[in-house]
Amino acid sequence: MTNYGLVIDQERCIGCQACAVSCKQENNVPMGQFWNRVLTEGGDKIDTPSGGYPEDGGSGSLDMEYQPTACQHCENAPCVKVCPVNATYTRDDGIVEIDYDKCIGCRYCMAACPYNARVFNWDEPEQMPEEGTGDVAARPQGVVEKCTFCSHRVDEGLDPACVVNCPADARIFGDLDDEGSTVSKYINEYETDQLLEDRGTDPKTHYISGEMSPGRPQTSDKMESELDDVSPWSDGTEDVPSEAGGSDSSGSGGSHHSIEGDADPHVPAVGSGGDD
Amino acid sequence: MNNPQQPRLTPIDEWEDEATAMLDGVEYNTELGLRMARDAIRVSNGELSDAEFHEKYHEEVLAEFGEDERPTKPEGFDDD
Repeated sequence: MTNYGLVIDQERCIGCQACAVSCKQENNVPMGQFWNRVLTEGGDKIDTPSGGYPEDGGSGSLDMEYQPTACQHCENAPCVKVCPVNATYTRDDGIVEIDYDKCIGCRYCMAACPYNARVFNWDEPEQMPEEGTGDVAARPQGVVEKCTFCSHRVDEGLDPACVVNCPADARIFGDLDDEGSTVSKYINEYETDQLLEDRGTDPKTHYISGEMSPGRPQTSDKMESELDDVSPWSDGTEDVPSEAGGSDSSGSGGSHHSIEGDADPHVPAVGSGGDD
Repeated sequence: MNNPQQPRLTPIDEWEDEATAMLDGVEYNTELGLRMARDAIRVSNGELSDAEFHEKYHEEVLAEFGEDERPTKPEGFDDD
C-alpha cells in the first residue's frame, strides 16, 4: 500500500523560504497564515544568526541553522484521534487531511498537534490577489487548515509544490512503503530524525542532518513512483523512462547509482524543468 | 516568531500553556479539549489504547457535540 512521506535534507536547506512561498501560492493560503515555513534556530529573528563574528583574532561562533516545518502527516496522529466529527482523517495513502465541510472549528486538533502545524481561520480569509492563487479552493472562516502534502497534485501524479520549487533539492517526496523509492533509500542510507520522536506520533517527514545528501534532481513533472526506470541520481542524460521491456538483464548500463557518502552535491541540469 | 498561529516546535513543558491559548475563546468546552489533546498524545505514545481513549471521552463528546465520530471507536462499541 502507498504511504507517502517526505525527506528534508537540512544540510542542503538554505533557508530561502521558497517552499513556504510556493506552498502559499499553490494552496491559496490566506494572508497572515502559513502551512509551511522555515524556522531559524539560534537567532532572535527569522534572518539573524546565532553567535557572533570573530573578534580579536578569535574563531567566532556565527551559526545559522534552518528547521523547515509543516504538518508531519503522523502515522499516529493525535489530531485525528481527537476530532469529534471526523473532519480530520488519514487517507489510504497516509496523507492527513481535513474535510472543511465537516470541520466545526473546535480547535481540539490544534491543541493536540505537537508541531503547531495547524492554523485557524479567525476571519474571512483574504487572498492576494482577491481571486486567490493556485489550484485549491479557499477555506471558509471558522475552520482549521494545514498542509496536505499537496494532495491535489499527488492525485495527479505530481510532487508537492514545496518539493518541486526547492532550489536546493533538499526535499524528496515519495512512497515510504516502497523500498526502492528515493525517500526509502535516503532514510536507509542517511542518518534521519523525526521531530519530537518522544511523542510517539511517528511523523512521515524525516530530516537528514550531519551529512549532506546528493539531493534529488527534478526529473520531470511526474512523481518518481510513476517513472519506474528513472534514476534519481543520474546525470540528467538518463533522466527519461526507458521503453517498457527494453531493459538489459545483464545490468550493464544500469542507471541506478548508489548513494555514496562522498557523492557530489546535485547540480540541476539545464532545462530539467519543473511543471509550473 | 511567537505568533501562536504559526507552526513551530514547542517544548513539552510549554505545550499546555500554548494549547490553552489555542482553545481560548472557542465555543466548545475548552477544558475537555485540553484533556483530550493531552490524552491523544498519550495514545500516540502507547500509554493509552484507542479503545480506552474512546470510552473515556465518549459520554462527554456526545454531550458536547451531539455526536462522536472519532476513528478510535472500538469494534462492537455501543454508542448508547
